Amino acid sequence: MTMAAAELLKELSKDDRLSRIAVSDTGFIFDPQTGQSFTLNKTGLVTLSHLKKGSSIDETADQLARQYGVTEEVALNSVEAFLLQLGRYL
Amino acid sequence: MDSSVDITDIGTWEPPFIQPHKMGALNKFGQRTLRDNICREVFGVPVNDLVRRYGSPVFVVGEKHLRQNIRRIKSAFEQRYNLAVHGWSYKTNYISAICRILHQEGSLAEVVSKFEYEKARFLGVPGEQIIFNGPNKPKDILRRAIEDGALIQADHMEELKMLEAVADELGRIVKIGIRINFDTGFTEPWSRFGFNLESGQVNEAINFISRSDHLRLSSLHSHIGTFVLEPRAYAEQVRIMCELMRKLEGVENVAIDTIDIGGGIPSRNALQTIYLPPEQAVPDINEYADAICEALLAGTRYRKEIGKELPRLIFESGRAVIDDAEVLITSVVGTKRLPDGRRAAILDAGTNLLFTAYWYNHQVKMTRNAAGSEEETVLYGPLCMNIDVVRHSISLPPLAAGDHLVISPVGAYNNTQWLQFIEYRPNVVLAQESGGCSVIRQAEDLGVMMAQDQIPAHLASLDLSGKIRPLSRSGNHPTLNRKLV
Repeated sequence: MTMAAAELLKELSKDDRLSRIAVSDTGFIFDPQTGQSFTLNKTGLVTLSHLKKGSSIDETADQLARQYGVTEEVALNSVEAFLLQLGRYL
Repeated sequence: MDSSVDITDIGTWEPPFIQPHKMGALNKFGQRTLRDNICREVFGVPVNDLVRRYGSPVFVVGEKHLRQNIRRIKSAFEQRYNLAVHGWSYKTNYISAICRILHQEGSLAEVVSKFEYEKARFLGVPGEQIIFNGPNKPKDILRRAIEDGALIQADHMEELKMLEAVADELGRIVKIGIRINFDTGFTEPWSRFGFNLESGQVNEAINFISRSDHLRLSSLHSHIGTFVLEPRAYAEQVRIMCELMRKLEGVENVAIDTIDIGGGIPSRNALQTIYLPPEQAVPDINEYADAICEALLAGTRYRKEIGKELPRLIFESGRAVIDDAEVLITSVVGTKRLPDGRRAAILDAGTNLLFTAYWYNHQVKMTRNAAGSEEETVLYGPLCMNIDVVRHSISLPPLAAGDHLVISPVGAYNNTQWLQFIEYRPNVVLAQESGGCSVIRQAEDLGVMMAQDQIPAHLASLDLSGKIRPLSRSGNHPTLNRKLV
């Protein structure tokens, strides 16, 4: 796991920042802090839902690997890349 | 919206991705949603039927649409100047059925090469209904064109000399035209074609003809550019040509009976360099006809006064006639997410079939309602070339393999400039005015591709025994075996 992704998750978890983000089941998300909206693809939606529930990066990657039948390495890289995207926008 | 999300459909794996909504980034004309603009049929024929019967990709030409186009354009000129004649520019689209339709509608054949000349004759066009332009006319085809009575419009002095020589050999007096070029002040001068007016080359050509025993100058031809968006450019072109015609009255061996203004009138297509949509950027054909015919009537008034016949007007519009009468149906073969976040789709048709994608932003329509948000998408063709891009950026909903897209307008220059590179060229189908469809150019296959190849005797057989190392792991390959240990 890269430090950057871990740091970002820690930052996003502060003050319930991540859990306050509103998410619809079609992948539309709204950030009440900035007023910005976004669209997630389905894997993004699943990943964000794990993170919002407080799963760690490793736990999220582990669950994605099982849900989609991909290797843990692929899932872990993807979660880290996704967190870097979240860090840019949120 | 709820923060506890119930995800029943997790979809298939792709890397998780978040796309920001760009509020306020709309263009000044507003966002055009493609789902308001689904295209399930083209020229009255369901897209799915066309793909099922003729495969994908497939070009489809609408006969009724094409006939309506040419009738409207001809009428715009003829009602303003009754000596107006349309010349069908073969290079724009020389599929035989399309040429035949336009000849049925009364268009002359405007050809620019030996091949095009031979094709027009093959299609049954009499020589006297052919305008022969272009910078390269070999002697054998010039001889044939003279014998056939075609209107040959010379591009350079060597061609004039060759015309004189052939006419001498044949013992004939030949009426010819010359192509001239000049600056209208509106378009980039196309000075590489024809004789330049300002530098005196036109005078040299006229002097040559007036001393000739066999040549008679009857036509002045010029072509001021392509996709000319300013009708006043044509008015200036006609004014300059009429002025020259007037100066030439009474010159030995010169009796102008034709003013040929070439083509260049745009279609309703979107040039990549133009910000406005074509509906706003491209003037109506009547505006061009107004400008051209008014200038011609003004420039030839002196002839009426001296009791001389007015010249006929030849206009050689290509793209304005055919472009929107043809579409390309293509299919998505794969999708991907680019590292910069943009969506991308790979199509079974690229710039090999859609050469004009290099300068147009073609309209792309989906054939079904697609769920999901629209995103900036890149449409790639199937070629192994990085420049094979059909659209660099278009807002589309998520595409899936097997989706059909309808690309238009594509009738001009694609069926002539298409590339034979790694793929077979597909069927071209005519949606007939009377109903039903017919193939007007058959898809290529290996037989077509191999027909021109010839294999010398020493390459006649292919015995590879012991010459090539097998790729299979089961083969006795020392390197592979080492790796397997």
